[in-house]
Amino acid sequence: MRLWLNHLRRTPLLLFLVLYTIVSGGPFLWVMSMSLRTTPEIFDDPYALPVRLHWEKFANAWTNSNYGTYFWNSLIVVVTAVALVTLIGAMAAHCLARYRFRGSRLVRFVILSGMILPPQLLILSLFQILLDYGLYNSLAGLIIVYVATQLAMTVYILEGFFAQLPQDLFDAARMDGYADFEIFWRITLPIGLPAIFTTVTLNFILLWNEYLYAVVLLTDDEKRTLPLGIMHFMGGHQLDVGMIATGLMIAIAPVILLYALFSETMIKGMTAGAVR
Amino acid sequence: MATVTIDELSKRYAGGGEPAVKAVSLAVADGEFMVLLGPSGCGKSSVLRMIAGLEPITAGTVAIDGRPVNHVPAKDRDIAMVFQSYALYPHMTVHANLAFGLRRRSVPGDEIDRRVRGVAEKLGLTPFLARKPHALSGGQRQRVALGRAIVRDPKVFLFDEPLSNLDAALRVSTRNELIKQQHELGTTTIYVTHDQVEAMTMGDRICIMNKGEVVQIGKPLEVYRNPADAFVARFLGNPPMNLLPARLEQAGDRTIARFSDVAVELTAYPISALKPYVGGPVTLGVRPEDLYEVPPPAIASRALQIAARVLAVEPLGAETLLMLTIGGAGPEIIARVGRDTNLRTGGDATIALDPNALHLFDPTTTKAIARVA
Repeated sequence: MRLWLNHLRRTPLLLFLVLYTIVSGGPFLWVMSMSLRTTPEIFDDPYALPVRLHWEKFANAWTNSNYGTYFWNSLIVVVTAVALVTLIGAMAAHCLARYRFRGSRLVRFVILSGMILPPQLLILSLFQILLDYGLYNSLAGLIIVYVATQLAMTVYILEGFFAQLPQDLFDAARMDGYADFEIFWRITLPIGLPAIFTTVTLNFILLWNEYLYAVVLLTDDEKRTLPLGIMHFMGGHQLDVGMIATGLMIAIAPVILLYALFSETMIKGMTAGAVR
Repeated sequence: MATVTIDELSKRYAGGGEPAVKAVSLAVADGEFMVLLGPSGCGKSSVLRMIAGLEPITAGTVAIDGRPVNHVPAKDRDIAMVFQSYALYPHMTVHANLAFGLRRRSVPGDEIDRRVRGVAEKLGLTPFLARKPHALSGGQRQRVALGRAIVRDPKVFLFDEPLSNLDAALRVSTRNELIKQQHELGTTTIYVTHDQVEAMTMGDRICIMNKGEVVQIGKPLEVYRNPADAFVARFLGNPPMNLLPARLEQAGDRTIARFSDVAVELTAYPISALKPYVGGPVTLGVRPEDLYEVPPPAIASRALQIAARVLAVEPLGAETLLMLTIGGAGPEIIARVGRDTNLRTGGDATIALDPNALHLFDPTTTKAIARVA
């Protein structure tokens, strides 16, 4: 009897969770099913389950539609940008969290104000700057832009975490004979790993799906990243829904993989210090 | 082996009005165990951090072996420090924690391992070498922190309240361990604490600080017996020294201190030292252990009997503390008497006082009045 009551009490929560799962997981499953169906099949009945699994669409997208190139472009841009933004952001966060220096508040304000500015506001000036430096329509240019735009959030998350590390640790390392950069490398980075995983995962997901900067700053088909590649299937007069779905599945696979691997570490990093 | 000399050392923190450390001078001899003692906020930790090189010096000099090190970075001063929080690197094993400082000094790998194992053996840490700090108890962590300092064989050890995170029993055993290690190694040591028991038991000398200034430096018992001012008198000793407002009077060639209805002849002070205070106020100090329920034979002849009322009785086991009010309504004092006292709260008592054990302080400067002319 009591067991039933307990179950009954939990029913609203359970209902909410089921509803939430349907709302968030439904579209994903729908796209997944569409990715294995052809466009005529989809137009015939959009919500039907695949009758025959068209796995060949993935090979098709990869080879015929240049998806392989887009994928590698995305991988190069995102991995390089994430690596750079993590390193630069961690160094900046370490300095802001550890050292009191003249103008530190101004530096923090300038970096963090990057979070407030919407990309639409920056895009014109970025376009002009990249053009001036010969970086327009290049992966290097996009990498630089990505590093610059993600730096604010990275510093914000890492500084919060680094600031909680006890000062004694750093003093002890200094007494042990280590210089500032070595302390950053041997103390801050290894101890700050949970927070660094968080920023790596977040930045990877955000940049992997980034569309606006990529569409403005890249023009050659050979340089496009995955989100642009998906648009490839949206012609002016026709919409290859089946192939878009296949492209989407290819695009989100690494993100899902990354999240599956690091979700726990990421949540740990985000909530670190919240409960002591 | 080294001497540490501090000369007119001052520290002013940005945004703070009063300097945290005011012209502190101190000379620590080679192999000496010097304790910096004072209440929290007295500047003792700031002094230690300036010696370590962790805090910029506002004015004055710190010299090691006679060589000023004001501008030598912490990493090059060859000093090891043990922190209150232990500051063990959480991502490293005990072995790596101990080896961290040696690795930076490019000591060969097998030499590092030999020294780490040697120190671990000495401190009973061998079974824990592969563990990380979170898997150690407080006492074990403390020993790792100590080992990290010892293994480097530095010129100077600095300790910043290293025992305050330990429970009472562990504190006593670790204290003895620390004293033993320091004696064996003979390394010059500066030890910061606010615990007077640590200071009394560990230090070759103690340096008492208050409000950023050095108040008194001396051997523990010397300082205890002859406090330089009322602050030291009350800070050293538990329960603290009783301080009573009194007046000095001249009666022939004798000087008498009068408080409440009590008059006591000051036999331990030369008349010349007391002359400036005759006819005026002084602060009279008497330690709780110099008040007796039954005076011992040695002082019975000179002991002065004081009538008092018992406000509270605190039996501590080995001894009993009595809260008393002199004459029933006068100032309150604390006496430390034997454990089998018959006195009860609310009762009347006659307490014996040894006039030779009295201390006198200038009521305005609070400085002790010298016993020798």
